[in-house]
Amino acid sequence: MSTPETSSRPPNDNPILWVAKPLLTAAKQFRKSLFRPSTIVYPFERLEDPKFREEVAVAAGKPIGIGAVWDNYRGVHALNIDTCISCNLCAFSCPDLCIDMVNVAGGDPKHPKKCPEIDYGKCSYCGFCSDACPEGCLTMTTRYELSVTKRADMVFSPERLYQVYEQKLPMNPIRLERPENEDQILLDPPVCIGCNACARDCPTKCITMLDIVKPTAAPGEKMPKRIWKEPVINDSDCVRCGTCISVCPKECLFWGTRK
Amino acid sequence: MLSLYSVAYDLISIPLTAIAAHLPAPLSAWLVNTTLLNVLGALVFCAILLGASMINTIMLIWFERKMLGRFMDRRGAMHVGFAGLLQNFADGLKLFRKNTRRPKDADFVGFYAAPTAYMVSSLVMFAILPVSTGWSAGALPLSLLLALVVFSFAPLFIFLSAWSSANKYSLLGGMRSAAQMIAYEVPILLAVVAVVVLSGSFDLTTIVYEQQNYWFWAPLFLALIVFVAGMLAEMERIPFDLPEAEAELVEGWNTEFGGMLFAFFMLADYVRALVGCFLIVLLFLGGWTMPGWVPASATSFPLAGIFWFMLKTYLVFGVFIWIRASLPRVRTDQLLRVGWMRMVPLSLLSIVLAVAVVLTKCLPVIGCVPGIGGG
Ligand code: SF4
Ligand code: SF4
Ligand code: SF4
Repeated sequence: MSTPETSSRPPNDNPILWVAKPLLTAAKQFRKSLFRPSTIVYPFERLEDPKFREEVAVAAGKPIGIGAVWDNYRGVHALNIDTCISCNLCAFSCPDLCIDMVNVAGGDPKHPKKCPEIDYGKCSYCGFCSDACPEGCLTMTTRYELSVTKRADMVFSPERLYQVYEQKLPMNPIRLERPENEDQILLDPPVCIGCNACARDCPTKCITMLDIVKPTAAPGEKMPKRIWKEPVINDSDCVRCGTCISVCPKECLFWGTRK
Repeated sequence: MLSLYSVAYDLISIPLTAIAAHLPAPLSAWLVNTTLLNVLGALVFCAILLGASMINTIMLIWFERKMLGRFMDRRGAMHVGFAGLLQNFADGLKLFRKNTRRPKDADFVGFYAAPTAYMVSSLVMFAILPVSTGWSAGALPLSLLLALVVFSFAPLFIFLSAWSSANKYSLLGGMRSAAQMIAYEVPILLAVVAVVVLSGSFDLTTIVYEQQNYWFWAPLFLALIVFVAGMLAEMERIPFDLPEAEAELVEGWNTEFGGMLFAFFMLADYVRALVGCFLIVLLFLGGWTMPGWVPASATSFPLAGIFWFMLKTYLVFGVFIWIRASLPRVRTDQLLRVGWMRMVPLSLLSIVLAVAVVLTKCLPVIGCVPGIGGG
């Protein structure tokens, strides 16, 4: 008998072992998981339940190695509406465009307060939004159960995100450090008309309008029609949201490198 | 002696006699006549047997799911009923509710008749095999032969269903099934010949009683190995599940079947698994008898025979599950080569051994006893 597979077999291999070895391996596994298989009875036993983790650790005789991974989990977001400054940074940074800024109660009727609304049908749980949030009010929790029966239920309004926040679930502690030489908002003074739009809309109220000296007009020269004020930005309070740039009617604010 | 048929007969005759006592004479005579009672008793007998075997089959599936789960470090069915006991009933109900669709080119008669025939031919086995004294349809002097004949019908129906469903994967699976049948039917029959030589009978009840002193697996160890391997191939279980090799052939010969027809195949597969285990227990593991060192109290309680028989059956099936969890599927050529070049010589050798035991009336461990070798 010189069929290909018999000749390519290693010479010391015994056909009896082909059967016996796998049988033995399977028997070992059977003995190991006879009373406590590794899988858990999920809806009734949960890995995040500290009591259950304790039990498993006791049964295994050593702490179970899921802690580090678990703390890092990126699940449903929690939003603290009270500290949200409506800076829009979360919506800007979302790669899936699943964040909408929607009105929430509070704030004056003319300029209502806006908070993020997240569509989990699109969210990829990348965590960019919570990295970007300057106030730390949008965070990712360890909640992973999100099954719904209607598509509309996938959209979490700010109020629903606030309910998640109120459950005080463990939060993902990861936070981006702001870079050392971050760009800052710079002003092109001759173009500014002192309209106050930037100061009004700045979520952190770090813009103050300061009086400037009204120049005396040379004979025959027409003075520009403007308010003689200019924005001064308190750089340490600025969260770099860019709201002022987007509201400025004259496009005289721009991103620039710190001098 | 308590037998299943007498129980069934009583179940039907006692209420009928009670009713007949209140009826006028011609009507009661018509009601309580032996022919009618015998027919009705036979029907009740079938119903009891069918119910018991179906429940056992479904429990077998549960047993396999749970045990296979343990081999794979998981739990198997958990939530329907205690530890998932009712899961398979729920699955069956689901399949029952589905509608079955016949492919456009499939043959009408073959497509519907073959699964039914497969199921029926598998179920008939329960009437032939004695589970305990008095628990088969009747004393058949050639019951072993009949059992093997009925058992080997199945590949024919598999091939029929594969051919009539007009699908190349089904047909390939059916072809493999036929090849497998021919390769493994021969060693199985030869191994059985060794048992027949040793017991001197074709009657399963006699074969079991021949094993009261010693079980046949010890002198016929080679035959047992051949028989188990052959049964694995007959049941089309891993590692010999080539006919439905899902990685290559979608679902093999039952690719085109859905709903209740699929459930028929699925159930019949496990019926055949159960029947195969029955055969192994009957031929090699002493059937419902227990060796002498087992205390009499453990073998004399009511239905003790059935209890021990089913215990052995489930243990044998446990070994099949163990094999399924361990071994990979073999190739067709390997399967056929093992069948023709290893199994046939081994079974011939075991016949020689059986003849030697009968002639010398000696066994390796037990020694030489006059009762050995069919008296
Ligand atoms: S986690 Fe990523 S995708 Fe989801 S809302 Fe936040 S930024 Fe968008
Ligand atoms: S980034 Fe934070 S503070 Fe800004 S709008 Fe989003 S949640 Fe509110
Ligand atoms: S919004 Fe623009 S134009 Fe108006 S005060 Fe601010 S910088 Fe000047």
